[in-house]
Amino acid sequence: MELIIEEISRGHKLLGRHKFTQQTVKIGRGYANDIILDDPHICADHITFNHDGDNWIASDLQSINGSFLENSKHSADKHIIRSGDVISMGKSQIRVLFPDHPVEESVTFSTFENLITFTRHPAILISSILLFTFVASFIFYLNSTTKFNLTQLLVPAVGMTLLFALWPSMVSLISHLTKHDTRIMNQLGMSFLFFNLMWVSDVFESIVDFNLSSNWPVTGIITLIPIALAFCLFWLNCTIGFHMTAKRRITVAFSLTALLFGGSYVIQLSKKPDFSPWPSYNASIMTPNFLFSQSSSTQEFIANSEKLFEKAQESAKKK
Amino acid sequence: MKGYFTFLLLCFSSMGYATEKAEHIFKELAPSLYQIRLIDKASGEKSSIGSGFQISKEGLIATNYHVVSGFARHPAKYKMEYLDNLGNKGALILKSVDVINDLAIVKREVNANMPYFVLSDTTPIKGEKLFSLGNPHDLGMIVVPGTYNGLKKESFNQRIHFTGSVNSGMSGGPVVNEFKKVVGINVATSGNQIGFLVPHDKLVNLFNSYKVSPPESIDQQMSEQLSQSQDKLISTILAAKWNIKHLGKGLIPTIDVPFIRCWGESNADKADAILLAAVANCSLEENTYITSRFFTGSLEMEFQYMHAKELSDTKFYHLYENRIKRAGPPYKAIKENVSQYQCQHDIVSPSKQNIKNKAVFCTRAYKDFPQLFDILYLSASVDKNNQALVSHFTIAGIERDSALAFTEKFMESVTWN
Repeated sequence: MELIIEEISRGHKLLGRHKFTQQTVKIGRGYANDIILDDPHICADHITFNHDGDNWIASDLQSINGSFLENSKHSADKHIIRSGDVISMGKSQIRVLFPDHPVEESVTFSTFENLITFTRHPAILISSILLFTFVASFIFYLNSTTKFNLTQLLVPAVGMTLLFALWPSMVSLISHLTKHDTRIMNQLGMSFLFFNLMWVSDVFESIVDFNLSSNWPVTGIITLIPIALAFCLFWLNCTIGFHMTAKRRITVAFSLTALLFGGSYVIQLSKKPDFSPWPSYNASIMTPNFLFSQSSSTQEFIANSEKLFEKAQESAKKK
Repeated sequence: MKGYFTFLLLCFSSMGYATEKAEHIFKELAPSLYQIRLIDKASGEKSSIGSGFQISKEGLIATNYHVVSGFARHPAKYKMEYLDNLGNKGALILKSVDVINDLAIVKREVNANMPYFVLSDTTPIKGEKLFSLGNPHDLGMIVVPGTYNGLKKESFNQRIHFTGSVNSGMSGGPVVNEFKKVVGINVATSGNQIGFLVPHDKLVNLFNSYKVSPPESIDQQMSEQLSQSQDKLISTILAAKWNIKHLGKGLIPTIDVPFIRCWGESNADKADAILLAAVANCSLEENTYITSRFFTGSLEMEFQYMHAKELSDTKFYHLYENRIKRAGPPYKAIKENVSQYQCQHDIVSPSKQNIKNKAVFCTRAYKDFPQLFDILYLSASVDKNNQALVSHFTIAGIERDSALAFTEKFMESVTWN
């Protein structure tokens, strides 16, 4: 009966895979072995697997550091192998499998695969990075209070673009380190697409803030948009960079989003003083062509203001 | 030559007369003068000092409210003491206050009838010689001669302009005429021989109403006084003529009352400014002291006209937005005294005016005076591409209905030319 032996890392990542048809398989550091492991804690002749007609049986060749079933003190010597057993020797691990070992179901191509391929197209990639840089420099332009020249805007804008490019690069690096496809172009393309979507959501938020009165408490819902966008980006980063189960992908994306927004929320909360003598109000304004809402009359405004007095008295009662 | 001599002699004699008079006044009145001190119970040391003077034979002493404000607000934290001219100390009880005119009446224990200051029944005439008494900087009782210069014109709550050095620590001390009758109470200074006094009739009113019915609770007395005073202020303002004035291409109101004064500023001299801004600021230049960290009674209005010079509309609006983001009250307040601000905003077009504004209204309530609020209003025009008109006001310690009435009138008074 055939025997498959996988060399695996401690995190169960596959390092090498061997298939044997003979009755005896020898493993050790010596060059006479069928699998030669380069681990100083393994003996030259460490372990053998023999097929006795019915079963594969492991025999430890009185090695110095021994062979153990995974994460236990049970010696692997004389152990009757079952498919999927993991055996630790020295600092290495192997997994022993039979040909009839079940495999996971095939993964269908992600529906986002088209989008992923689209964003990595050089023209799309370059234009979305350029768009990002352009918007960044426009924001620097808006914030400058004195006269300026183009380089003064471009330098910080390019700097900001490079800073934002760190995220997809980092994800790619992690993919690379964990023996996955690097796919840096895909990561860059997807990330910058979402960074640009963030700008769009910012503009949308400003328009809503500008137009709607405080009678429309939608600000809470609006702030969910960037959170949703961030979640999607992290989810897609995972899809591009790693093979993982759908559940795991959602967990990772959710944790990253929670870390990003929860973290900044906690920091804000910790900085917020217990009492502020300054009012916090919405004074967002935009140019007249973004004004879509109907204006209220002075009387309506006064009537709405009147309601605040009771609220203030309520909050004064809380010591 | 002979004439010159006479003149000099006259000068001498009059100077000699003044000094002699001051000495005489001081000697005679000293037993009725006190240093008033608040002792912090926990540390046992004095935390604030001022002056006071006896106004009745039964031991009633007049002083400034701000001298005893610590005790009035936190009776458990402090004890109040007097120190007389012989160095005797004794406890004082707070009887009545006038927070608007910064007056307080306290009482000491007396065994027998004591000499006291008589409150004048006439007002001094301009140029009349007055003598201010008090204990500046804890240096000991002194007398300062000075001149009566009438009432301060721009003040809503009357104050006497006294030419003479009133220093801190003299607060609450009496100012007497040459007949040794009290015509004012030291209250403030703006340095260099300019002092301000509370006119004696305010004390007469407080004293008389105390004799009729002493207040049940100081807090409630203060609350009523604050409400009444602000109500009087707002109704005076609403009844006054509101003149329309140009500010750039905008029209803004100026209220025709002497106690609201306006100042202006612009960046027209800065050639490299990308935004032309002109600011007019009108305010009541006085406020009411409640504690050293809590002032009320103020009113301030600010108008800004902005105009873009070679600037895209988007950028103009962005800079404009930054300028209106952080409006706040010009006076102090802490958590102990007020709630957090509650705000609302909307796009508003006043019915009679041709302007569209983003308007913000905020209010916070006073914790100890439940009918009083601070309000803040800010409005920014959003209907012109390269011009902006901002109108803003804050009022401290006002009741709801007055606040809304003022806000409505104010909103209807700002527009484009």
